[in-house]
Amino acid sequence: MSKSNPDKKRWLISQAELEAWLDGIANARTLIAPRKVSGLLLYRPVAKSNEIAWQGHTPESPQAVRPVLSVKEIFFPPTERLFTIHKSGQEIRLEETYPDWETVVFGVRPCDARGVKLLDALFLDTNPIDSFYARRRGNTTLIGLACTEMGPTCFCTSVGGSLDDAHDMDIMLYEKDGNYLAEAVTEKGRFLIPGGEWKETNASPQQSPESGQFPVPKKEKWVERFNDEYWMQISERCLSCRVCAFVCPTCRCFAVRDEMVKPGEFERIRCWDACAGENYRRVAGGHQPRAEKGERLRNRFFCKFYYYPEQYGLGAASACTGCGRCIEFCPVGVDITEVLMDLEKPA
Amino acid sequence: MYEPRIIAFLCSWCSYTGADTAGIARMKSPANIRAVRVPCSGRVSPELIMRAFDQGADGVLVLGCHIGECHYDTGNHRAAKRIPILRSLLTFVGLEPERLRLDWVSASEGERFSKIANEFTATVRTLGPVHWRISPDKQQAVSHMLAVTREAIPYPDTDCGAKTDAIRQKARELLASNQVSCVIGYELNRRGRTRPVFVYTPEETSRLVWNPDCTNNLTNYLPAKLRLVKGKEPAKQIAVVVKPCDSKAINVMVAENQYRRDQVYALGVACEGIRDLDGNLQIRCITCQEAVPIVCDTLISGTTSSFIPRLSSYAREEIAELQNAAPTERLEFWLSQFDRCIRCYACRQACPMCNCPACLYERDDSTFIGLGIGLNEKRTFHLGRAYHLAGRCVGCNECERACPMNIPIGLLNQKLAEEIEAAFDHRAGLTIAPSPIVTILSGEYKEG
Repeated sequence: MSKSNPDKKRWLISQAELEAWLDGIANARTLIAPRKVSGLLLYRPVAKSNEIAWQGHTPESPQAVRPVLSVKEIFFPPTERLFTIHKSGQEIRLEETYPDWETVVFGVRPCDARGVKLLDALFLDTNPIDSFYARRRGNTTLIGLACTEMGPTCFCTSVGGSLDDAHDMDIMLYEKDGNYLAEAVTEKGRFLIPGGEWKETNASPQQSPESGQFPVPKKEKWVERFNDEYWMQISERCLSCRVCAFVCPTCRCFAVRDEMVKPGEFERIRCWDACAGENYRRVAGGHQPRAEKGERLRNRFFCKFYYYPEQYGLGAASACTGCGRCIEFCPVGVDITEVLMDLEKPA
Repeated sequence: MYEPRIIAFLCSWCSYTGADTAGIARMKSPANIRAVRVPCSGRVSPELIMRAFDQGADGVLVLGCHIGECHYDTGNHRAAKRIPILRSLLTFVGLEPERLRLDWVSASEGERFSKIANEFTATVRTLGPVHWRISPDKQQAVSHMLAVTREAIPYPDTDCGAKTDAIRQKARELLASNQVSCVIGYELNRRGRTRPVFVYTPEETSRLVWNPDCTNNLTNYLPAKLRLVKGKEPAKQIAVVVKPCDSKAINVMVAENQYRRDQVYALGVACEGIRDLDGNLQIRCITCQEAVPIVCDTLISGTTSSFIPRLSSYAREEIAELQNAAPTERLEFWLSQFDRCIRCYACRQACPMCNCPACLYERDDSTFIGLGIGLNEKRTFHLGRAYHLAGRCVGCNECERACPMNIPIGLLNQKLAEEIEAAFDHRAGLTIAPSPIVTILSGEYKEG
């Protein structure tokens, strides 16, 4: 089932036209796109379109893949200074610096765009609004690129996504016989499209293939299994590292601390935190209510499939977008799809 | 002329008094030196030195009592071992070695203090300011480094089936006879990925496998499972499947009293190497010298031994390449590598040697490193971790494998392992012996 709108205005552009367009964007704004950094694919600023790693177009990487970290890091960076505290004598002065540059992100995969949508629910749509996130979100345009096939660990189709889901993008691109079909999804996206230069078309994108769907356990199922021995068993191999949360497009926990920059100057920083880490839930006095690895790992799965839908609704079945990064990068092979399948089975 | 900022850590008993003596005798000492009085030169941990460089010091001077005259007996022995090792690490990541100096000044040697202070200040002045930061444009320029093109060695044909059967059989025996409470081994998950598994009953032993993807160092799980708790019976013996590299970790942990040797039953597998995601031998295996586990209660040898000795030396080519580069290039290279770090701690958690109950770099009261995921914190974390592993790292290279950001952390550990071997003739894990860094001097440190 393709989720693209049949009545949308579309343009057919060649690879050269696309590159020229991106070069133009990079001249006027900050363009962020998948780039190879020491053999890794990451979303990084690019000055020209030839720096972009065109996945699925080179003999070395014929397969379409997603960057190691999701676009989350653009809106919710690993470390962010919230404000600076200047202290002289009895006087204390606070100073905020907001991000205010215009950014265009190219090559966003549908799973990542949905991740941003899920983050919006708590950073933008719930009071108090996170002003840092809001600034970044407002100044950023997402140019999506539909996937042509599923990667080895992908399972977006099982958690309500699809390979060509355009919903959460500003502009969506579909590959079509070596060319691209462009579609303006939002007003913000429409603004970036050069009206006269591109050839309009009424062609529609190919239907995305659907494969390997499996059922995701319903909310009631999760409640039943909360005190199950199962969590202790699967977490025995867990190393309590934080890879799964840091590569996840929707993990959004953070820690806040005031740190000294130099005498008289301090900064309040916010940085990523993760429930799998040993210190995550520790409270003043040293008590750790989630002392067991199993309790911590259970929290990760419950957060995705129970707590998030419970708290933010959104009609979303889960806060998991099926990108499969946690499966790919877990050093000990903890597999979220395995957990989902196990929960479906009777206890 | 550039006026450097120099931090001098002075031992309270000898060197600080020595500096006083210099003052009383009206000998000139440079004003660049900021003295920090410490109880003993052995108190000057590498974190303090790195912190000083972090906060803008251009040089760090550590002065203590002469060897044999320490007021705490062996404090300066420790400094004499640690600081040269730290210096070689900092040099490897691009700091000029002249910026860190260790020397001995007694209470009466005012003249010597003045001479050392003047010499050191002059040296650092010619070096100029420290460049500990990196700009994004430079990051591009150094990204070509370390492009060592090594011929991929395909994974040899092996008799994994025979080894799998042998492991299962032995595990069944051990569990059925109640000799061990648990067998830690490898299994295949539904996706066909090899991962650690914990087997508690003889029936479950059919889950155990051996294949060329058994990469995890399973000894990592032992300290938590076997931890000696005061007033409690020691945990029952646990069997663990180990490769030659992993097995050395048992020796180090036993030397460090994490558990007793008799609490572990090592199912040692004769190893032909482990392959990476592309199906080639992993880097650690290319430089590996051991086919048979050092620590082993039962040897799982399979039917044939197809271990092929690879490189004649266990050094990684990248280390030589980096050492030939200019210090500024090395610094830029390493900072651009650390810059990618997301502080997920996968390296630390995958490391069997990183078994402190609370990591120094994650403690709330740690002033050595902040909470942020900034370049300063990441650099201190990685260099500090490498230093803490000096003489203890067994080279299983799981840290580098677990890193999602492809940071060549293993190079730091390997470099320090070479350094320790040259200085102290010690290779971690070959015998039950602690790291030479935590013991007192038996002869002076031979600087390589």
